[in-house]
Amino acid sequence: MLVVGLVISALTVRVREEADAAQEREAETAELYEFTRDLAAASGIEEVMQAIITHIGQTLSREVVIFLSEGEAHKPRAASPGFSITESERAVATWAFQHDTPAGRGTDTLPESPIRCHPLKTSRGVVGILGVKPTDPTAHLTRRQRRLIESFASQAALAIERAQLAEQARHTHLLQATEELQTALLNSISHDLRTPLVSITGALSSLREDSIALDEATRRSLVDTASGEAARLNHLVGNLLDMTRVEAGAMRVAQEPCDVQDVIGSALERLEGLLKDRPVKVDLANLPLVSMDFVLMVQVLVNLLDNAIKYSAPGTPIDVCARVTNSHYEITVADRGVGIPPEDLARVFDKFYRVQRPDGVIGTGLGLAICKGIVEAHSGNIRAENRQGGGSIFTLTLPLAKGQTG
Amino acid sequence: MTDSELRVLVVDDEAAIRRFLRAALTAHDFQVFEATTGQEALAGVLTHRPDIVILDLGLPDMEGIEVTRRLREWSKIPIIILSVREHEQDKIAALDAGADDYLTKPFGIGELLARMRAAIRRITTTSELPMFVSGELKVDLARRSITLREQPVQLTPTEYDLLRVLVTHAGKVLTHHQLLREVWGMGYENETHMLRVNISNLRHKIESDPTRPRYVLTEPGVGYRLRADA
Repeated sequence: MLVVGLVISALTVRVREEADAAQEREAETAELYEFTRDLAAASGIEEVMQAIITHIGQTLSREVVIFLSEGEAHKPRAASPGFSITESERAVATWAFQHDTPAGRGTDTLPESPIRCHPLKTSRGVVGILGVKPTDPTAHLTRRQRRLIESFASQAALAIERAQLAEQARHTHLLQATEELQTALLNSISHDLRTPLVSITGALSSLREDSIALDEATRRSLVDTASGEAARLNHLVGNLLDMTRVEAGAMRVAQEPCDVQDVIGSALERLEGLLKDRPVKVDLANLPLVSMDFVLMVQVLVNLLDNAIKYSAPGTPIDVCARVTNSHYEITVADRGVGIPPEDLARVFDKFYRVQRPDGVIGTGLGLAICKGIVEAHSGNIRAENRQGGGSIFTLTLPLAKGQTG
Repeated sequence: MTDSELRVLVVDDEAAIRRFLRAALTAHDFQVFEATTGQEALAGVLTHRPDIVILDLGLPDMEGIEVTRRLREWSKIPIIILSVREHEQDKIAALDAGADDYLTKPFGIGELLARMRAAIRRITTTSELPMFVSGELKVDLARRSITLREQPVQLTPTEYDLLRVLVTHAGKVLTHHQLLREVWGMGYENETHMLRVNISNLRHKIESDPTRPRYVLTEPGVGYRLRADA
């Protein structure tokens, strides 16, 4: 009876131990799974580091710090809120980094330190150091928790490496795009920049030449040419600067309540000279103040109107219309010009793209690209269509800010 | 108005621009003095006693804004900024610091002369002239009466104040901040929407086509200006 009892109790203990171990493993697996899921959801190195810190911090009730390798050195890059690292803690991280081995609290090296540092290793080397420090200085890690940290560290290392590689790839891509833009700029623009300079230099050198007797009309025409070409050059430089701002993402959109009528009026005023012989019909429903960047939106309308003037015959009308739908407002600029070949409709907003015109329409192929950049910076969109009865119509649609419904 | 005897101080560190301005302004009977730095400009205003200053923003020793600010500590001399900077923020900063006008390079000499004359006129005609006439708009500040084509116009007190401030600075660009401070008072400088609504209402009352205003003009991103000679 006694023997049977002993055997049974021993068996019970073993079964319980096994059950406990299985449960522990299951819990570990679950935690690790959650950790990798959090890491997978994070995009970019900063988010990845935040996910690591939050997750390990909560699971192990510890403050967490991440050092990242930068060449031969390593620097603390992210940490739990309020965590400030001491010199001696840094020394632990340095040791772990240099020896590629865990160090600090609970290890064989510098065990009296409050921080425990794990190298973040991948096949390509040590990407950084993971440091954990108990919030309660008397709390020690269990064997299970130590195992967990090891697993967390290897997952974290992979996630960080992946994020770094993605960043490098993006950077390379950006550089390539910038290079392509620069080449396109140089090819397309050097011609456009030089042409006005040729005319200006030519006109000025003729005027300067004392030996040539110029009659008044010729002098006048030379001066007009030089001055017109200088204006064209200035316009081109302005467009290039705008385009660079759009490209570099440096465009700051100041969203503030604006009077659409005032925006349209300011654009018309800027083009007063060019619009002299044009009937311009402005159709405004009773609009509320809507949120936008006043100056940039004037620029968009100036470019659209300028385009309408260029691609339609003198004297033909231009219509500007603004209205509010339930969640958006819409501004259209329409002309009775030559329209746009259907195959070009989508491409007119591309940089340096110009619809082929035989007779001397001058432009930089940047105006509409700038419009698109500005409108997109407002989270809106712009489209071109051919108009019923001839001509083209450009529509820009912009979201109304909350609480602004027509 | 004749420009004879008028003295102008040109402040720019670019020799080519000073040379061109000297030639053009001398041809229009201005007596031209030059300065190449902010310090020279401040000293030049004292020694040459000019009637007007033309000031570049990017000077080697200090910003043109700073020169404006220091001059405004003791002088009301008209200051016209000439700059390649076309950002509204630069214009606003210059005008708020006390500049009278702002012209972006490149510019035509005709435009510069017009702005110079207007700035000088504003300072010589004392603001004690209560009657303002521009085109078909008449504003009698003494009687608080406004007529358009001889017809009386009814304005709300705020619209009237707005028009009054514009009239007392007719021809000059007033920044959003300046208008808000003068009409609504301190602490309202950022309530741009109130200004926009009242400008819109004012235009509907005094402009025949509020989309193409003739009197109350918009300086995009900077402020508003009442046209003095419509």
